[in-house]
Amino acid sequence: MPSTPPEAVAARCRIEIDRLSKEFLANGRDVVAVDNASFRINDGEFVALLGPSGCGKSTILNMVATLIAPSGGSIRVDGEVVAYGNPIRHVGYVFQKDTLFPWRTVEDNIGYSLELAGVAAAERRKRVAEAIHQAGLDGFARFYPAALSGGMRQRVSLMRTLIANPEILLMDEPFGALDTHTKLDMHSVLLGLWERQRQTVLFVTHDLGEALTLADRIILMSARPGRVKADFKVDFPRPRDAVALRETRQYAELFSRVWHSLGEEFAKSRSQ
Amino acid sequence: MRRLSTLLWQIAIGLGALAVWEWGWALEKHVPWLVPDLLDPYFVSKPSAIFQQFLSMSCLVGRDGNWTFGVEGAFAKCMGRSENNLWIATYFTLKNTLWGFATGVSSGFVLGLLLGRSDRLSEIFYPYITAFNSIPRIALAPIIILAFGIGDASKVVTAWLVVVFLVFFNTFEGARSVDRDHINASRLLGASEWQVTRTVIVPSTMAWLFASLSPAISFSLIGVIVGEFIGAEHGIGRMIIEAEARGEAAGMMVAVFVLMIAGVILSALVRRLQAYLLRWRPSQQLAG
Repeated sequence: MPSTPPEAVAARCRIEIDRLSKEFLANGRDVVAVDNASFRINDGEFVALLGPSGCGKSTILNMVATLIAPSGGSIRVDGEVVAYGNPIRHVGYVFQKDTLFPWRTVEDNIGYSLELAGVAAAERRKRVAEAIHQAGLDGFARFYPAALSGGMRQRVSLMRTLIANPEILLMDEPFGALDTHTKLDMHSVLLGLWERQRQTVLFVTHDLGEALTLADRIILMSARPGRVKADFKVDFPRPRDAVALRETRQYAELFSRVWHSLGEEFAKSRSQ
Repeated sequence: MRRLSTLLWQIAIGLGALAVWEWGWALEKHVPWLVPDLLDPYFVSKPSAIFQQFLSMSCLVGRDGNWTFGVEGAFAKCMGRSENNLWIATYFTLKNTLWGFATGVSSGFVLGLLLGRSDRLSEIFYPYITAFNSIPRIALAPIIILAFGIGDASKVVTAWLVVVFLVFFNTFEGARSVDRDHINASRLLGASEWQVTRTVIVPSTMAWLFASLSPAISFSLIGVIVGEFIGAEHGIGRMIIEAEARGEAAGMMVAVFVLMIAGVILSALVRRLQAYLLRWRPSQQLAG
């Protein structure tokens, strides 16, 4: 397993992906979206899954989330093989698309999972108020999603997932639809929240800057069929400043190293 | 400015139409080619006569031509003279309309939800639903009167029949178009199948149901009136039929105007309800 750094052997492995593959039919043609991908993620690690669009990175994430059935290979979370359609309790998922319930207010969206779990109303209100404050959404508790900006909606989404205190967080390009400034803002919000809990994160993105800002490790995927191409360690000190980090020399060096490798895949995906 | 001018135009057109209705027939003697036969007061009466008729039918004015209010017991005496006076007729028609609406909306919603969420059920029932939907519902009204008698039940059933399909088809579409990602999000946040149904499928389908409430209330009123035409003890529909039998155009027109006012009030109420229930929709929101 070349992707596992030697010092992490002792750490608890949370997600283990073994020779995972996914094929599907598109326009009568058999398409290999993911081909024999293997990697492991240890407890508390923030891992970015980086690659050009269509490389199957979201497919891997959705297979871990049990939203898609794999064609081959296996996924283990905390040693247990995950089964399609059976979401795991302590795994949270943040979508790229806005999936807030439009008929629920901000507070009712955030408190949704607590409501499902039967948490008492008083306790729920307390935790929701805290989450609203953490996400910088004070004063918007009674708003409906339609009245919020894209960035605010994504913060509500994030808190809706985080309020259940998931130990593992799966994120599918959650800031992909946001403009650059809002995105940087969201990086700060996410880093701040993550520093408190240090969840194990698998974060799908095609934005190298985003991956470098947030992650401890970048798993680089090749263009379709998606394979694991390289595994970069991102050892910038924490806590990180999402804006200041981008001006450091280490950032620039690592950026150009990964960029070179990523660039080849972008070129390939264009010619497909 | 524009709103004022719109209002002025509206008033002018309304007054113009009333004037033609009131005095148009008088011109018939002089310029017969200009005045259509439809203006004959024998068919459509006249606004002044209709207003007089309204006052006496509503017992606001007694048989003696005097106002009933202020005269002890005059209103009650006038009311007691007819079993189907304007007030009682309106009460029965509205009551049955609301019952038809309530039963039609609730059963249409449940059926639409069941079939919309079950491919198996919708597959089995598809030919029956299309077949039933092709029957003009009103054609069944005489059969319903035969089966349920001339009382309230037959009116409610007729209205129900008209409303239930409308609501069913809307709900069915809504239940089929629930956003896949909302269902996934709900599952990943820990919802059981039943919780997904209760917290995602029902509320998203509700949005479609609410959109059908406005036509549903109008349809319900139509169903009740048709039922009353065919056979009833009370109701505005019966009032129209009776006035027709006596050749009283003014009496028919009073009933029609009462229906118009009832229709306007009912749909305004339903629209208020709709706006409240759908307040989370983007169009109902102020920008934040």
